[in-house]
Amino acid sequence: MPKTVNFAQRWFTARGWKPFPFQKNVWAAVARGESGLLHASTGAGKTYSVWFAALNRFARPSPAPTDDKPRKRKTPPPPLSVLWITPMRALAADTARALQAPLSDLQIPWSVGLRTGDTSGSERARQGRRLPTALITTPESLTLLLTRADAQATFSTLKMIVVDEWHELIGNKRGVQLQLALARLRQWNPQLIVWGLSATLGNQEHAQQVLLGDGGTAVQGKVVKELIVDTLIPQGIERFPWAGHMGLRMLPQVLAEVDSSTSCLLFTNTRAQSEIWYQALLDARPDWAGLIALHHGSLSREVRDWVERALKEGHLKAVVCTSSLDLGVDFLPVERVLQIGSAKGVARLMQRAGRSGHAPGRPSRVTLVPTHSLELVEAAAARDAVNARLIEPRESPHKPLDVLVQHLVSMALGGGFLPDELLAEVRTAWAYRDLTDEEWQWALAFVRHGGLSLTAYPDYRRVEPDEHGIWRVPDARLARRHRMSVGTIVSDASINVKYWSKGGGGGSLGSVEEGFIARLKPGDGFLFSGRLLELVRVENMTAYVKRATTKKAAVPRWNGGRMPLSNELADAVVEKFDAAAHNIYDSPEMHTVSPLLEVQRKWSALPRKDTLLAEVLKSREGWHLFLYPFAGRHVHLGLASLLAWRLSRDTPLTFSIAVNDYGFELLSATEVDWSQRLNASLFSEEHLLADIIASLNAGELALRRFREIARIAGLVFSGYPGAPKSNRQLQASSGLFFEVFKQYDAGNLLLSQAQEEVMRQELDVGRLEQTLRRINGRTLDMHMIKRPTPMAFPLLVERMRESLSTEKLSDRIARMVRDLEKAAGPEVTV
Amino acid sequence: MRPYLSIQLAGAELWLLAEKAVYYPAERALLIADAHFGKAAAYRRLGQPVPHGTTDDNIQRLDNLLAGYDCKHLIFLGDFLHAPESHAAGTLSAIQAWRERHASLAITLIRGNHDRRAGDPPAELRIEVVPEPLLLGPFSLQHEPDPHSTHYVLAGHVHPAYRLFGRGRQRLRLPCFYVQSNVSLLPAFGAFTGGMNIDRQEDSRVFVVGEGAVWEAG
Repeated sequence: MPKTVNFAQRWFTARGWKPFPFQKNVWAAVARGESGLLHASTGAGKTYSVWFAALNRFARPSPAPTDDKPRKRKTPPPPLSVLWITPMRALAADTARALQAPLSDLQIPWSVGLRTGDTSGSERARQGRRLPTALITTPESLTLLLTRADAQATFSTLKMIVVDEWHELIGNKRGVQLQLALARLRQWNPQLIVWGLSATLGNQEHAQQVLLGDGGTAVQGKVVKELIVDTLIPQGIERFPWAGHMGLRMLPQVLAEVDSSTSCLLFTNTRAQSEIWYQALLDARPDWAGLIALHHGSLSREVRDWVERALKEGHLKAVVCTSSLDLGVDFLPVERVLQIGSAKGVARLMQRAGRSGHAPGRPSRVTLVPTHSLELVEAAAARDAVNARLIEPRESPHKPLDVLVQHLVSMALGGGFLPDELLAEVRTAWAYRDLTDEEWQWALAFVRHGGLSLTAYPDYRRVEPDEHGIWRVPDARLARRHRMSVGTIVSDASINVKYWSKGGGGGSLGSVEEGFIARLKPGDGFLFSGRLLELVRVENMTAYVKRATTKKAAVPRWNGGRMPLSNELADAVVEKFDAAAHNIYDSPEMHTVSPLLEVQRKWSALPRKDTLLAEVLKSREGWHLFLYPFAGRHVHLGLASLLAWRLSRDTPLTFSIAVNDYGFELLSATEVDWSQRLNASLFSEEHLLADIIASLNAGELALRRFREIARIAGLVFSGYPGAPKSNRQLQASSGLFFEVFKQYDAGNLLLSQAQEEVMRQELDVGRLEQTLRRINGRTLDMHMIKRPTPMAFPLLVERMRESLSTEKLSDRIARMVRDLEKAAGPEVTV
Repeated sequence: MRPYLSIQLAGAELWLLAEKAVYYPAERALLIADAHFGKAAAYRRLGQPVPHGTTDDNIQRLDNLLAGYDCKHLIFLGDFLHAPESHAAGTLSAIQAWRERHASLAITLIRGNHDRRAGDPPAELRIEVVPEPLLLGPFSLQHEPDPHSTHYVLAGHVHPAYRLFGRGRQRLRLPCFYVQSNVSLLPAFGAFTGGMNIDRQEDSRVFVVGEGAVWEAG
């Protein structure tokens, strides 16, 4: 057998490169057989640090060709040795190119392949016979490979796993799914070397522990160089900031910035916003057609690939994008990065800034484009937070049962399992380290009978032990269905958008949510993929479209979750308001926004570090309370529900709740004496958990959360692609399931999980408790206002609302019907 | 609050019942749309864990209706059984027992889209199955709400729901009766059925159902 070769040294020397110290550290650690976590920013050479570590340790050069047998059949590449996990399919192709590059030069006979949701059927079939030496895949596709009956044999040659962009996975259920897959692979091969690549996080020890357990080597990559955060200061400001519009008022200034730079990325926060901005840029500068492009996650892969390639080759002046371009792929030519609207977090802003200024000696720079006036305060705060490097931590979810239930079915397919063995394995995954026996029994019973009681669901069976006690999926139809549903990314049913052409579909443009198309009639116009389109017809889950002649167009909304402002950024914002309250305006942003803050101060007050600002208003709509704890929209939702519940516990009341990142509004149609009711007991930290649970039952939040849980646990099935319509008779909405469970099986643990998740993730009880403690340490600063203040206005006009009620349904209906009658005048007769 | 609301339609009196059914006093007929019996069982058969209890709930509410109103004829406006898998032993035996408690009642099913796939109910249930429309007095009873050339249409299929909006930005979504100039829709009766929002047109009336009462909502 040939001896180990230092491929890394050979490759770097041949190019006259000098490895960074952190790269050498990784090579040395892997040479010793250690696992580890590498913290480094994108584009800092981290791919090659782990890739060459793997090659050094496991690859051997091709044997020199022998002259006497030139026609000898090529020896196949070595079997699967390295798994490369990437969070985004879009990154897989680029990663493959990067991994492939050194192989031929160094005469390493390894093959590199992809396995993602985009992989073609023929490629899958080829891989079915033999996987490449290095396989690039996503957490979902890895789990799918583990559902193969021969999974253990397939992975028996695996030596190393690389988890790319671990910071994108650690905080969500996809990461938990990966934790479970890693537990399985480590069970089969305890010597497995695992390396994570992560951007800098506020809690690096936790990130390492979740991925590696105890032990492992931490390597710090190149430290981020200088970062510049500045703001496009608007010409004038609106006194009533409204978060509902898209910030197009800043268009002329953005045009000037784009015009003066060779290449530019414009990050937006939603897909709808990116469509609107792209269209606005084109309308203003028709001569830019072909020079600017649009990139978001719902566009077809062909479109996205084209944009990424054109950007890399320097053909594009600007790309309007969403977080779809946050990760990976190092676009060298980008000169400028603009962030439209709040970036919501320090880490995200730094990452986006890092997209620019890769030329040596040039700092990275991001320019913030405020979409409403108060975002000027946030911009100033963001710069402070970035300069202080207040990077957010990310925590792994804690034993989500829906992911566990899905994993049990996957493992039953992947060769079957013995419960005791699998339990021990599952508990080695960090998220399930303290899974109780009761929870385990429940999960087993759920996949077997659908519930804990043996008689609960007699017709139902998903997984059953065979005669040897090995749990398997007996029904081939259910097996197929499970494989189609693996994953934890939940989206609404989506419908393909294609050009209409006679005798078949034309080119594919991407996908939009079914609910959006359902509201359109043939002939209606809508904006998608940067084009004005007209709906021609809808059939077989495809919307056929043609270029529109009208100018009137709807813009699809995708139901993506809205990110809350991070703690770190929120604190920095309060600092800015507090400074303003002390007449300190120390930046161009704060100078510009000062007239607005003066109105706020005159009509009410500015929020300060030591006060809790409350505003009370009586309007035609009813009795309003505005409160500003600055704890991010998720905590505000929890806090608002909690207060609404405590206020309405004794007197039946119904509240409509609006939240944003600065505060929330409680609105009642019947009288509430806020000055008397807003007392210490309302903010008490006692009985917190019980009160939150009660508030959930009175509101609608748990139902919303259940949508995701129902899909992951396999309750709701989105259907086979192209299936005949009759299958849709077997679909029910998660809302319907939620109601049925609540009424007929209230003890179902998925319901409790929905509740717990709302508390932990959506409402973040830990942060809520901390917020209450902070509130109790502050002085209540209450103001009766005659009209909405600049801070209250965005809440007042917020249309997305939650409600909480302790009134009888019949009383609520009676009041609404009475209001209707008053509004409508004399009765209409048929 | 009344458990029903009487309206005049096509010259006849109809009672809109809070139990999501219509009583037609002149014919002593009870009209039920979209019961979807055996829907939960069909889901379970296909590996979806839906709890038990929806069939019993449906039957309990049917019993209450038959006890509360003087009926000689019970008419299902389609979608009596949900799917082929709904012919489950548990579901059918519960319906059979219910049928035997009301042995003298005439029962008719107007075949709907789900019935065509599910197949007719077993003969022992003694349910006369007919295609739509079934003419009764001035009414054309149907599953699907297509207008009829001579008769006023009472139909199901849509599972109509209506969104009420009130002061203080309050809103509620409730099942409803939707009364138009020549077609009326009944709410879905089944315990495990969803709803589809309807927008009220100019010359129409909406009656929402909630907590044991029927309310006119514009």
